Amino acid sequence: MTMTDVAFYLLSGFAIWTGWRVFRVDSMIRATFLLLLSFTSVGLIGLLLSASYLGAATIFMMAVEMMVMGLFMVMFMMNPAGLNPMMMVHQHRLSIVAGLLIFAAMTGAVLLTPLPSDPVAADRPVLRDLGIELLGDSMLIFETAGVTLLATMLGAVVLSSRRGRFGPTDAGSVPPGLSAGGPPAGRQPKGGGSHGGHGGHGGHGGQGGKGAHDGHGGGGSHGGHGKNGGDGNHGGHGG
Amino acid sequence: MSLIVGLPALLALLLIGLWAAAALDTAIGRLIVGRPVGMAATDPLRAVVADYLRQRTDTEAPDHLNWLLAPGYYFLLAVVGLALVPFAPDQSLIALDTSVVLWGAAEAVVVVAVFLHGWSPNAPFPLIGAYRYVAIGLPVMLLSMFVLIAASIPAQSLDLRAVVESQRGLWNVIRQPLGLPLFLAVVMSLTLRGPFDYADSADLAGGTSAEDGGPRWIAWQTARAAMLVAACAIAATAFLGGYLGPVLPGWLWLSLKTLAVMVAVVLLTHLVPRMPVAQMLTLIWIVLLPIAFLDLLIAGLGAL
Repeated sequence: MTMTDVAFYLLSGFAIWTGWRVFRVDSMIRATFLLLLSFTSVGLIGLLLSASYLGAATIFMMAVEMMVMGLFMVMFMMNPAGLNPMMMVHQHRLSIVAGLLIFAAMTGAVLLTPLPSDPVAADRPVLRDLGIELLGDSMLIFETAGVTLLATMLGAVVLSSRRGRFGPTDAGSVPPGLSAGGPPAGRQPKGGGSHGGHGGHGGHGGQGGKGAHDGHGGGGSHGGHGKNGGDGNHGGHGG
Repeated sequence: MSLIVGLPALLALLLIGLWAAAALDTAIGRLIVGRPVGMAATDPLRAVVADYLRQRTDTEAPDHLNWLLAPGYYFLLAVVGLALVPFAPDQSLIALDTSVVLWGAAEAVVVVAVFLHGWSPNAPFPLIGAYRYVAIGLPVMLLSMFVLIAASIPAQSLDLRAVVESQRGLWNVIRQPLGLPLFLAVVMSLTLRGPFDYADSADLAGGTSAEDGGPRWIAWQTARAAMLVAACAIAATAFLGGYLGPVLPGWLWLSLKTLAVMVAVVLLTHLVPRMPVAQMLTLIWIVLLPIAFLDLLIAGLGAL
């Protein structure tokens, strides 16, 4: 085995392991970047197999794509940090059956196809050939796909940016009222900017009895009373 | 170039580069605000020791693994970038005919590394810094793509070694005058500096590194400085003719040019103010990207 073989097997193993971990972690961000690690290993295998452009481009594209995908998932799932634990797999039975079928089909395709053994000559201008292919015979296909994807992206932005959750964003969207035609639900911003409710809270739990209790409040001036606060002498000590 | 000789040499150069970056940053920063320069050469080393002895803090339920790995990724990407730089004809540690594309890939992963560094502490300021950086870092990478493709057009190759050779007659900085200024913006974004520092800035109490203390802080700042060295070396290679130059040996020319780019970047860091995120996004998409297209057009017309 040459160094290339060793690197190939190591990277393949890493790609499979990280690919499996994608479904075992409990956070969207972790899953996203494990998938990126898996793709990066595949890209590095591409570099080993003289596909120097496709390998580097795979890493490049996947890094950007996974970054954007992770961010959008977090935004749409309203799990702001992506750190909150959540289940990353759903519909277990269906997924297991579908996964096994696809695995069997793909493994069968790989094993049953007579794969050519056609090593690339060292002096072959691989990069140039790829460029000629992309902008020669296959140009129509790639350009069609490119323009279609661009149109899709523009469409998605147009559709998603104006119509917000509670109406068009440019009309000042507010949540609907709790009763029909009532004022919008949720807390209304107050003028003056005063923050109520952040005074010092002396912390008396529910076990007030006789005797002197010291409320160890932060910056406030009153001691808080638990519901069983009895007839003792409650002193709130402001910070 | 064999790995056994090349890698230690590269790491040694990187160490010198790290020290130069830290010393330059300290000295120029003090000069600009009018303080005495003092011991700018040794103060960064003293700061490292002081930070190492500082109390180590932790946040509630962080992702320890990614917090640990993020500076490592960042540093590794800097090493990869430096390994792509040729320091003599046909001599670079990673001999790849698509080194420009691989550097682009490294730039893309930098955004991921910075995001992970801000995400993993599970704390508000680092997270805001991480999100803000992604919004700015991704479009800035587009600039880098166009500018570097323009630089490789005269070489008719995506290989940095060929890009240097194509500058024997005329450096790219003169042939494509828009390229280097745009790439300096990219360097500042990659290293979280000055006008492009939306990740670690003071307005977020340190942003993604707000919760870093002690060794974590040292690791992240070291990785940042390493990326500065790598990105400046790439800039010197793509636009200033890399190792080309009379009399002196090639690697020395490369080092001097890298240092010159570094001085420019550090000056810009301390002299140019930072805009609000929305304004910066507008600037990137409406002003800088069309300028990058123009740069590509100039390169294309020049090649015709």
